Amino acid sequence: MKLLALSKKEAQDILTNKIYLLIVIVQIFIILGSFGLGIASSIVTDPELLDRYGVASSLKVGISEDLKYSSIADNLKEQNLNLSFLKDINEADELLGSQLVAVIRVSPEGDILLQSDTSNVFYPVVFEKINTAIQKYKLERKLEAGGLSSDLIQKIENPVVLNRITVNSGKYTDLALNSSYFVEIMYGFIVPFVLLLPFFLASNIVTDSIVGERERKTFEILLMTPYSSTLVIIGKILPIFTFSMIQSILWLILLDLLGVPIYNALILMGIMIFVGLAFIGLGILISMCVDSTKEANSAITLVLMFASFILFIPLFMKIPYFENIINFIPTVLMVKMASSPSFEPSVLFSLVPTILISTLIFGLTVKYFRHERAIRL
Amino acid sequence: MRLLKITKWELKNTLWSKKFIMIFILQLGVLILMMTFFNSFITGIDSEKGVSLSPSLSGFASIAVSDNNTILVNRINKEVLNIEKMDYKNSFARLKDGKITTVIVIPENSQKKVKRFQTISVKLYLNPEDPKQAVVLKEVNSSLEALSASISEQWIDSLIPSGKSANTRVKEEKKGESLPLQLINKMMMVVLLFLPLFLFGNMVVDSIVGEKERKTGEILIAMPLSHSDIIIGKNMAIVLTIALQLAIWILILLVAGFNIENPLLVYIGVVSTSVPIIGITSAVAAYSKNYKEAGIGLSFIYIIIVGFLIVPALAYVSNGSKWSNISPMTMIIRLFSGENTPAIDFLIPIFSIVVVSLVSYLISIKLFKRDDIVFGPRPGIFRLMLDFLGIKKGSF
Repeated sequence: MKLLALSKKEAQDILTNKIYLLIVIVQIFIILGSFGLGIASSIVTDPELLDRYGVASSLKVGISEDLKYSSIADNLKEQNLNLSFLKDINEADELLGSQLVAVIRVSPEGDILLQSDTSNVFYPVVFEKINTAIQKYKLERKLEAGGLSSDLIQKIENPVVLNRITVNSGKYTDLALNSSYFVEIMYGFIVPFVLLLPFFLASNIVTDSIVGERERKTFEILLMTPYSSTLVIIGKILPIFTFSMIQSILWLILLDLLGVPIYNALILMGIMIFVGLAFIGLGILISMCVDSTKEANSAITLVLMFASFILFIPLFMKIPYFENIINFIPTVLMVKMASSPSFEPSVLFSLVPTILISTLIFGLTVKYFRHERAIRL
Repeated sequence: MRLLKITKWELKNTLWSKKFIMIFILQLGVLILMMTFFNSFITGIDSEKGVSLSPSLSGFASIAVSDNNTILVNRINKEVLNIEKMDYKNSFARLKDGKITTVIVIPENSQKKVKRFQTISVKLYLNPEDPKQAVVLKEVNSSLEALSASISEQWIDSLIPSGKSANTRVKEEKKGESLPLQLINKMMMVVLLFLPLFLFGNMVVDSIVGEKERKTGEILIAMPLSHSDIIIGKNMAIVLTIALQLAIWILILLVAGFNIENPLLVYIGVVSTSVPIIGITSAVAAYSKNYKEAGIGLSFIYIIIVGFLIVPALAYVSNGSKWSNISPMTMIIRLFSGENTPAIDFLIPIFSIVVVSLVSYLISIKLFKRDDIVFGPRPGIFRLMLDFLGIKKGSF
């Protein structure tokens, strides 16, 4: 009952605090913004998606007017590139970089000179498309010279045929965009980032709750009540933890609605519980080391920066020496779990260091709190 | 002289604080971590292969391969896909259970088929329930394209005598630096340089809101100092602290081997940019009642400032647009890249720095002069704006 009363008071404090509620709304914008950015960058980097959304036709490639009816021009058109036929190919030098992404020159001997503006945002896709067209042109030239039958030419052009067969045909993932880049960026970064966002806020609320009370001189009164230190600290963190957990679950549902289906939600929540405990533990630790909200804010900003490095950098970097350690980092586990339709029990073993470290951080800070009672004379 | 006294006093307080020194060291730790990250990105870049800014989790998706003649398996990107040897008993069951992403089967007689000029039919089994199938499909397609090209070459070589075959040479001339490379080289560096400017907001808030909360503002105002002396003196101390940190920051970057052209001009440019940022921060702090309110205000204002700095800089990196010169961040990028820049292009950001500094300091001083803002009851922002515009009679 005592615990409930204290938790209720803390929960009321959180829910009536306009700043926290504002931050919740800001998080929704962050999620929607990240999702939109993921969609836009996937379209920009995927030739098929560019074709589907009609953007490819705006990618201008310069070619000499003499080549208007050549096979290289046909191959480039097949790739949905917008060809700009130039009367004087020398004017291409001026247009490259401003109006043209690439220029193709063919020598009388049939050799190709490709000039490209690599600083253009669409360069990787344009290069991929031009490369496909050139490879086809090279093959055609070789085959033309050989005087082979059309059947044989067709066979040589397509020596490998890929047949796609789907298993579990009744079950389909409801992805917003079936693109490799979208899957990598959403599951490989956005999902763990979004699910951990509320816990970044949680450590801030913890410091605000403890240091704020100390600044308002109400913390001493709280400690004078017949509540044990353990009860005080649990009563304080329980609503913060629940508030963060509810937000994470809501963001998980929001992502699912946006077309990023999240698998193994229960295991993910398990991971979030332990990571959340570590964040809250760090919040308590900072609260006991500082004298004011100002100091707490500075310290928590730095601690969260370090935490971001440990949690998110391994998602973007390949560090051969740490290859084995990386598989134990909670965000890496979250990526694996969120994107896998099945559950691998071996993940539970990988979760052991997270559980141990989080419990240790949390246990030690609670023990320190019970000893010092957050009062320093 | 009085102004300098305030500056000296504030600086002494800051630099003698053990906590400030600790935070200062931690900030340097953050810089070193960022530099490590930045360096790994740069060393990992191979511009020939192209640069990707997507997550690079090894073994993100998995594939079971049946390829007795090893014609395909060696072409699959092992950095992205976890390759398993096909086990007919278990692989399909594992695929159906979602434990592996795909199964690929290359015919056992594939080598014979190549020799007999027969098309190879590859079967790719996908689990549509698994979102990672898109990643596998892309990797498999690019591996198969390479395999197809190699088989085609092999067939052509055996069917067409070498003298008859037309060999097309392809040469590529690249213009400009690739966009991801520019983003990493220019944007990351400029973010590192501008980072200290945003780490001192708390100090500004403490030096202005702190006086209100600690009730020492009254004593300060009662001293024989003008309001402008107080605001400018306090802010000058913070600009000097930023200048000190930035000097150490740039020195570390140079020692670590980062290429910064015109380091002195870059230093002066970034320190100058800190002046309007501190001015805007002090205006927010002068209006705020307490730390919490100042914190929210700053979060929003800093988002706007970062947007103003970074959006034109990004526009400059991606298409070199002229209007991007309005941001001092663009000026710094051009300075540390060693670009030949006409002086007129520097006048625009310098003008924006001077104008924003003057306006922000003027607003801060005006706000600090008003008793209702310092001691309360504080007027709303709308009323304040009307006062400022002279629509209603007020202290402005």
